[in-house]
Amino acid sequence: MKKAKRRGPREPELFLNRELSWLEFNARVLEEACDPTNPPLERLKFACIVASNLDEFFMVRVAALKNDLAEGDTAPDLAGLTPAQQLQLISERAHPMVDQLYEALTGEILPRLAERGLKLVRPGDLEPPARAALSRYFRDEVLPALTPLAIDTSRPFPMLASLSLNLAVLLGPADGEDDPRLAVVQVPGRLSRLVRPPGVEGMLHVLLEDVIWADLASLFPGQEIRDVAAFRIARDSELDFDDEGGLDFLQVIEEELKNRRRSGIVRLEVEDGISPPLLELLVSRLELGAEDVYRIRGPVDVRPLMSLVELPLLEDLRDPPLKPQQAIEAADLFALLDEKDVVLHHPYESFDPVVAFVSSAAEDPDVLAIKQTLYRTSGDSPVVRSLARAAENGKQVTVLVELLARFDEQSNIRWSRRLEESGCHVIYGIRGYKTHSKILLVVRRGRQGIRRYVHLGTGNYNEKTARIYSDFGLMTSDREIGEDASAFFNALTGYSDPPRMRKLVMAPTQLRERVLRLIAREKDRAEAGQPAEISAKMNSLVDEEIIRALYDAAKAGAKIRLAVRGICCLRPGLKGTSDGVEVVSVVDRFLEHSRIFHFRNGGDEEVYLSSADWMPRNLDRRIELLFPVEAPEGRQKVLQALDAIFQDNVKARRLQPDGSYKRRRPAKGEEAYRSQLELHREAKRALDRLRAGSGITLEPIRSPVE
Amino acid sequence: MTSPDDDRSVTTLRDPEIRPVAVLDMGATAIRILVAELPPGEPPRILEEASRAVLLGKDAFTSGRLGASTIEATLRALEGFRRIMDSYGVVRYRAVATSAVREAINRDTFLDRVRLRAGIDVEVIDGSEENRLSYLAVREALREHEAMTEGDALLVEVGGGSADLSYLRRGEPVYSGTYALGAVRMRQNLAAFHGSHEQRTRLFHRTVRNIVEDIRREFPLREARHFLATGGDARFAADQIAGDDAKHPARSIQRDRFLSFCEATVALDDEQLVEAYRLPLSEVETLVPALIVYRELLLETQAATVLVPEATLRTGLLLDMVRTDAGQGIEDFSRQVLASAEALGERFRYDANHARHVARLAVGLFDDLRSEHGLAARDRLRLEVAALLHDIGIFVNLRGHHKHAQYILSVSEIFGLSRDDMGVISNVARYHRRAAPNKSHLPYMALDSDARVQVNKLAAILRVANALDADHLQKVREVKVLRENEQWVLEVDGGGDLTLERLAALARADLLTEVFGRKVGFREAGARS
Repeated sequence: MKKAKRRGPREPELFLNRELSWLEFNARVLEEACDPTNPPLERLKFACIVASNLDEFFMVRVAALKNDLAEGDTAPDLAGLTPAQQLQLISERAHPMVDQLYEALTGEILPRLAERGLKLVRPGDLEPPARAALSRYFRDEVLPALTPLAIDTSRPFPMLASLSLNLAVLLGPADGEDDPRLAVVQVPGRLSRLVRPPGVEGMLHVLLEDVIWADLASLFPGQEIRDVAAFRIARDSELDFDDEGGLDFLQVIEEELKNRRRSGIVRLEVEDGISPPLLELLVSRLELGAEDVYRIRGPVDVRPLMSLVELPLLEDLRDPPLKPQQAIEAADLFALLDEKDVVLHHPYESFDPVVAFVSSAAEDPDVLAIKQTLYRTSGDSPVVRSLARAAENGKQVTVLVELLARFDEQSNIRWSRRLEESGCHVIYGIRGYKTHSKILLVVRRGRQGIRRYVHLGTGNYNEKTARIYSDFGLMTSDREIGEDASAFFNALTGYSDPPRMRKLVMAPTQLRERVLRLIAREKDRAEAGQPAEISAKMNSLVDEEIIRALYDAAKAGAKIRLAVRGICCLRPGLKGTSDGVEVVSVVDRFLEHSRIFHFRNGGDEEVYLSSADWMPRNLDRRIELLFPVEAPEGRQKVLQALDAIFQDNVKARRLQPDGSYKRRRPAKGEEAYRSQLELHREAKRALDRLRAGSGITLEPIRSPVE
Repeated sequence: MTSPDDDRSVTTLRDPEIRPVAVLDMGATAIRILVAELPPGEPPRILEEASRAVLLGKDAFTSGRLGASTIEATLRALEGFRRIMDSYGVVRYRAVATSAVREAINRDTFLDRVRLRAGIDVEVIDGSEENRLSYLAVREALREHEAMTEGDALLVEVGGGSADLSYLRRGEPVYSGTYALGAVRMRQNLAAFHGSHEQRTRLFHRTVRNIVEDIRREFPLREARHFLATGGDARFAADQIAGDDAKHPARSIQRDRFLSFCEATVALDDEQLVEAYRLPLSEVETLVPALIVYRELLLETQAATVLVPEATLRTGLLLDMVRTDAGQGIEDFSRQVLASAEALGERFRYDANHARHVARLAVGLFDDLRSEHGLAARDRLRLEVAALLHDIGIFVNLRGHHKHAQYILSVSEIFGLSRDDMGVISNVARYHRRAAPNKSHLPYMALDSDARVQVNKLAAILRVANALDADHLQKVREVKVLRENEQWVLEVDGGGDLTLERLAALARADLLTEVFGRKVGFREAGARS
């Protein structure tokens, strides 16, 4: 019987505030951007991620707090902070963070790139022919897309889109008036932000707003331009924060925002050089407080600089690529899975086997059905193509799609239609829940009857992110997992009510209680004097009930190691509560994304992988899966990856009792250990072993008659 | 135009494959499906289970008809099941509906819509078929368990529409019955009641106790040493008490623990149940009435433990398919059927020696005349049951006892026999003496024409067999039918004076002559040589 929900003493001192913890995470990414040992283009990438993360944070989290404040909600969070206090602390932390970001960017990163010819320049720095070419570009392409808006007190402020870049222009007073006037020029989002002038040596780029600025006078003929400054606003996105870690979530938000230009403004970024009268005008018209204004010492909105990172140039300014290794080499994947389970660790190991799994299932005449969840997948993926092909081949294909952006977005319509037209049964999500689980089921008829093959993952079926997110996947023909997978899809498709499952654990129905039970079991063992240990890796740890359970286990003497990449509300090192708890976070080249849970269980160890973080959102409002890794080989691989994180003394940071993070350094005599590089090396070694082993093939003669 | 790899003109035959089968059942609260493989000589391998809560019983037990929205929900669920079946390439399946559909006035149009929309043919089965299928599943789950080998056991399944009881003696069902103790039905009966939870529970208790009083008269409940509980609510209780260990074929729970769980749970109202067990409202609704039924019946027995086997109607259906694959029909259940028939006979204080003797002679004649009557093995079993019970009407009154037997049998339940079976059996018993079947006999005319022909043939045989033990002394050891010139001669081997038997047999052969067109003679076995 379920215990009544625990309402113990609130004990705010036991918890860290999630927003500040998130900012700490972003600070760790920023640390990578500032790290002079990282190559400049990698640093630029981290800088773009920091900026993009902040955008998301303001539009989702800060917006939510501001709404709370506006509604008079003064209820403190877990850490005992009211919305007003949280906003204050966020502002105190975010302002210097932005300053630091631009210091690194304009003080170090961009100059380094400039040394090698990759430069941002102003039109005025160019030779006259190049300048003329920019003016032509302005006249022919840019000007037609511009609509200068005169702002006066009698009209409402124009509905500027969130995150769009604008120029604020301070014009001299109109005839017969005293006050200077404000105008806004929107920098067209359709045009690329970086403009490469023709006939110029090297890799010079001009920012689009500078192109406009250079010819701004033509927009305001005969008027006095007193000041110009780029600015950007962020609005309440009214969306849930998504921690899939990519930049693409912003696309979703921006998409959504086209319909929501009215929602509240939560932040203003302005060029630092702005004159006081212009800033004053802008702030008063936007009805913002001083703490919401961020003065930017460099280009406002650096995200477009990401395209420089991707330029196929200056290889030596980037980390040498870590090529994903082929973990398995099997002509017949199904035959291999009949023999054993396969655990894949991306991106150290290639995602190709997963893609091959779907495509071979699509062509295999014995395959009867394929079922798959697709969370935020772009339509043009090989997986989607294979699913359509499978349906055309007469297989029963069921796809549960959680769309990247709004349903009516054109590209989504196109590929989901294509799936439907090829005969797939497409389900567009489950009402009230986001389907976040990553599971693929193949039903196949064999000599011995039906067999089911299942792929379960911690990351999406996206071969692009599989190259930059660290994720685990399990491929198995385990009978019980197969049955559970079928039952799971029956529940999702509405063919069945939520089932009882044998090995898989599903949220929102069972996951929370299972995790609590597993933690409590370690606690019980610790109390009984047995060695007890929990190691867990996830992106965020926020859930109060689970954190309290972890404290209880720690108090009982269980050793607890947590690798939490992002938000962690658990406060380690509290005397008598969490002094046995270690929390580390690795921020490095690949985004740590896998969720791994290991319980010592008195020696009968259990290892799980999951799509879910320990957050209320994942446990209660999403459809998620937790699955066991049972084969010794796979388990070893997963545990090795988990241990590597705790061994890392280069890119790991340890959470301190005060909520700050301290970078780990190799101790005296200790060798530097950078887990991501080590894991890549390990994947290479595994491939070598595989190749060495497969060099000799023994082929048994099955029948002498043949 | 076909491309080379699109060549459908050649069919490559592969080794025989194990093709998945499916079984579906439509109960009072849910529709469920099980997809499985039946590898020869092995237990069924379950591939997939699914269920949808559809409250057919709520409609059927209140208004007597299935409402539009319930029908729509059912159709949608079955369309999903159809897709599940298709995903395994299932061709062979058996879909059954129980009391809720059985009792609905509009069941035929409903089942027709099911056929048209989901492409699933659903068969409505009666309580005794349910009992038989459940028994199959229980027997499989318990195998060599003591409850199946020693002493008496009470098997209780509380469903939505009814509670099905079987009384097992050394694992063989001897009594079985279906009672109006269905959990949904009980709730629906009190749907208009607006009292407190306690008051409602008290009413449930009263209803259950009244019916248990009746059951006690039919079943020797006190002698039951084992208590077997099946059904979703029993499994739920076992999950809560003994842990959710579905791998175990049967979970065993101490009597006291089961009783105290029942008492604690029954005390909770629906909201508290939802909170306590995290169940949807539709599932907790049956819990309280069902647990009251289990509890009250358990208290009647001397069982020290409650056994909850992993046995459902669906596993019974699967096992029945396995039996069919192995070429077994209902007749392979004859032991259980006959044991149950004899138990009924005992209740009406029949002359067991006479009854068994007549039954033996009757099936002997049936076998002898196989090429003439052309009846099936199931009819042989019906004859045997009718022969065993032909005299039970004497319990009511000797006068017209054949009519009393007809009535008693028409309302009795015998394990493994359907209502159709009982219709034939009761008529055969009726015509063991006196008037031959006649158009003015309503119970006879209520049968369809095939069944009437069966009755004629079986009754003709029974009349002769019964005549051969006219003085109830079992003097006739054996009888053979000799075909001699357009005539059937009964060659009778027996001891003592067989005059009475001869006279009786010749007189009672009237129907045999009428049905088969043969004169009947009588000869004692030693007399010819």
